[in-house]
Amino acid sequence: MNSTHEHEKKQFKRLFQQQGIDRFDSRLLVLEAFLKLEHHVTISDLMAQLEADRVHLEKEFVLSSMELLYRFGFAAKIEFEDKETHYEHRHLGLHHDHMVCTKCGTILEFRDEAIEIQQLKVAEAYGFHMLQHKMEIYGICSKCLEDRSPLVPLHKAKKGEKLIVKELEAGKQMQLRISSMGLKIGDLIEIVSSGFGGQVVIATGENRMVLGKGMAEKIMVQLFDPTAEQASEDDGKPPLLQDTRLLSQMKSGQEGIVRKVSGEGILRRRLLEMGINRGTAVYVEKYAPLKDPIEIVVKGYHMSLRVEEASHILVEHIGFRNKKDE
Amino acid sequence: MNKNLTLALAGNPNCGKTTIFNNLTGARQKVGNWPGVTVEKKEGKLRFKDYDLTIVDLPGTYSLTPFSIEEITARDFVINERPDIVVIIIDASNLERSLFLAIQILELGRPAIFVLNMADVADAKGIQINAAKLSQLLGLPVVFTVGNKNKGTDHLIETAIDEILRFDQGKESRPIRYSQKVETCIAKVQADLVESGVSMEGSCRWNAIKILEDDKVIKAKLQEMSASSAKKIIASAQESRKRIQNLFEDDFEIVLTDDRYGVIAGIVKETVTNLAGKRIDISRNIDLVLTDRFFGIPVFIFFIWAMFQLTFSLGAYPMGWIESAVSLLSMGFEKSLPPSLLKDLLVNGIIAGIGSVIIFLPNILILFFCIALFEDTGYMARAAFLMDRVMHTAGLHGKSFIPMLMGFGCNVPAIMATRTLESKKDRILTILMTPFMSCSARLPVYIVLAGSFFADRAGTVIFGLYFMGILIAILSGRLFRKILFKGEEAPFIMELPPYRIPMVKSLMIHMWDRGKMFLKKMGGVILVGSVIIWGLSNFPRQVSYSEDYTEKIHSVKTEYAQKISSATLKEIDALDRQLALTLTEINHKQEQERIAGSYIGRLGKVLEPVFSPLGIGWQASVALVTGFVAKEVVVSTMGVLYGVGSEGGEALEKALRKSGMTSLSALSIMVFVLLYVPCFATVMTIYREASAGWAGFNLIYTTMVAWCMSFLVYQTGLMFGFY
Repeated sequence: MNSTHEHEKKQFKRLFQQQGIDRFDSRLLVLEAFLKLEHHVTISDLMAQLEADRVHLEKEFVLSSMELLYRFGFAAKIEFEDKETHYEHRHLGLHHDHMVCTKCGTILEFRDEAIEIQQLKVAEAYGFHMLQHKMEIYGICSKCLEDRSPLVPLHKAKKGEKLIVKELEAGKQMQLRISSMGLKIGDLIEIVSSGFGGQVVIATGENRMVLGKGMAEKIMVQLFDPTAEQASEDDGKPPLLQDTRLLSQMKSGQEGIVRKVSGEGILRRRLLEMGINRGTAVYVEKYAPLKDPIEIVVKGYHMSLRVEEASHILVEHIGFRNKKDE
Repeated sequence: MNKNLTLALAGNPNCGKTTIFNNLTGARQKVGNWPGVTVEKKEGKLRFKDYDLTIVDLPGTYSLTPFSIEEITARDFVINERPDIVVIIIDASNLERSLFLAIQILELGRPAIFVLNMADVADAKGIQINAAKLSQLLGLPVVFTVGNKNKGTDHLIETAIDEILRFDQGKESRPIRYSQKVETCIAKVQADLVESGVSMEGSCRWNAIKILEDDKVIKAKLQEMSASSAKKIIASAQESRKRIQNLFEDDFEIVLTDDRYGVIAGIVKETVTNLAGKRIDISRNIDLVLTDRFFGIPVFIFFIWAMFQLTFSLGAYPMGWIESAVSLLSMGFEKSLPPSLLKDLLVNGIIAGIGSVIIFLPNILILFFCIALFEDTGYMARAAFLMDRVMHTAGLHGKSFIPMLMGFGCNVPAIMATRTLESKKDRILTILMTPFMSCSARLPVYIVLAGSFFADRAGTVIFGLYFMGILIAILSGRLFRKILFKGEEAPFIMELPPYRIPMVKSLMIHMWDRGKMFLKKMGGVILVGSVIIWGLSNFPRQVSYSEDYTEKIHSVKTEYAQKISSATLKEIDALDRQLALTLTEINHKQEQERIAGSYIGRLGKVLEPVFSPLGIGWQASVALVTGFVAKEVVVSTMGVLYGVGSEGGEALEKALRKSGMTSLSALSIMVFVLLYVPCFATVMTIYREASAGWAGFNLIYTTMVAWCMSFLVYQTGLMFGFY
């Protein structure tokens, strides 16, 4: 990078001297400050850098210098929507595009050969001679996505949205009530209507359900993303939706990895002591003839526990065990 | 002079600990496959070279948390009694979980060795354990044994003694280190403990860990020693807990559990080689049938049915032999001894009383053989698995099924078996319900009464009674759960141990233990009871009769003598028979009147108003009262009261029919016997296992229920015109 910067400076001296531009030394200082800053710089950023270098210049002068640098192809100017003008280094022969986060304002640079080639092709197809292009993608950056909770309570969901039930943040009583209505984690639901005094009408499959505000608040949902599901199905893996469940919802013959053991005091402690802790593989051997308790295999031994107790264990990466392994 | 050493055996349930204990000591002790079968602390002595060894079998547990009596018992023994060495028995085929307990025992800071038991099973499963590496990692000796083939036992003792000597020479146990953050907390509390100068039993590190784990028992102990420093130490521990909580978003004990399994995973990784492809799981194949969705319950019912058939049909043969032997004995005494009070006591009191009880020894032996078979094979756990749903409706734990089932044999061992239940609530609930399980001592009462009055339908009636007992137990359970024991039930988390072929020797030991218990009870309580009842029914000696029976007998005899002298040879035979009949009748009448005048008769008369709404006459009332001594005694009291002595069942049946008792009254008596106060021994067991309060409560509750149900049965019967 430094060698390119040295090269840029030499060119700058030659060009500016040739053109006989005033206050050459001061402008060189602006260039130096600009080169010190990577990525996208506003005038105020530049002023700050200059201050740090103990150089005092007027803002108008810096702005006119940057315009000159832009004119001579040392800097590229980017004007994003609703934002201060940004300058970036323009190294000849190197081109890139931008992704702008509408939330935090971060600008990401990227370059994709396929897009570049595709642009030329599109232009050619229209009989258009392309000189240059500018491409900006607006969206939410990965960091902001991570910070944003993907789960929202059901009563905040909008009409027509397709959602997946992810968590029931309810007490035992409420959980029972919710599950007795036939709603469980992993279900795909659609909001039929919402907002009539907090009441939410949802559709699961062919059923309509009316949930009170109190109940809707406790059901955490995530936007349904058909592409994600599609992608995971393409990998030959079970669909993403099926991947995480409570142990009590697993079928016999299924296997998974314990992700979380919730529950209270003795129960939780006992489960952990018997070897059901995070990361342990559990295999559902069978259900008792009266559907309760469950027999599971953990750490190479068989044990039984009640369905109610199994509902405190969250299991992920669920799949059917390959019979050949046995 | 020999040196005394104490060895404590510790390990998971089903790890073969009891088998090793038997191998070491040759003691008669129960070996079971049911988790927690070793309820009591058992000791055995052994001489080895210059040493006198005391072997203590600790209860089998999965952990050392203070959640169950077994766990508290085990850890208290190690801490307070300070055995010279703890022999930690590890199921080699199940290393990971076994190590979880082992690590906690090591934390107690006593010298220890590891015994990898069931090495053959592990081998068959394709698991290879590098003992040298394990020994090196944990800094203690490791030996292999095969318990059921008695392999490696001597090596175990030698290694244990060597290790004790090494500790005598200054070896110190090496603590297990956890993650940095946990260790920081432990070090902090340890420092606090040292600073406070409080010296608690057990190593400082262990106490520190327990305080951090919020262990109520240890915290209480600390409180007791010094309230002021306890407050300070616990406050600082709370702070550490909070820090861990913030860091891991989980309680300290949970984090530590994860850590322990982390340490274990490391050890397992270093020491175990799994040879894949060698796995055969016979247990799973057996379970394909025994806990199958469709076959599971029918097969279970079949087993229970088979057990009862064996017990009562097969048992009938030796019962007959015993019965004839007893009557032979009493006849022998009757003939050879001159009439006296002592003879009367011997024949009508002791022999009659004991005879009517010893008859049930075969039943009890067979029943407990079956139960031992279920336990030792591992089927018992499956029974709990199958029945939990049902037991749960009664507010009980699937494990409660075992004590309840044992209750059909005898309530005393059944109540003792409730120790396998973890939660105190569940335990007391099961204890209170078990007496409604119709124990084998109640069966003779049914057999006599149902046999007398319901001849062909006796089986159905008896079955109905058993069923009624179960129903009342379930209803009581629900009632108690609602009123007395609100709140969470103990988790139903139970190992389903692999099926094992039971060792005949162990089955025999188990069966004989139960038989011995029964005989001891007979020798003691029942003997005393029989004598007391005989005494009560034979005193006062002078009873004012309504007529002079001696005179009457005399006159009848002279009357017949005259008739005979004037009769033809042909008539003499018939007259002789007539005379004998008349005399028996007079005797019978005299005996009844005599008993009515005796103390026991008076007691029965006093209680008559209480029992008469139930259709129970004074003789039966008296018999029921004496039944508190032991339910078997009801039959023998009836025998004495109806004046048939020890002549056996059939005579009593005749006498009962003769006495004018109706079938409805008989049914009422049977219902009462089924439900009322369990025997004296059971009440004492409840007192020991729960408390005097619960024993008293049980006494009152059962009697109340019995009275109400009998009343209901009798009065409803009358209403519908039965009699």
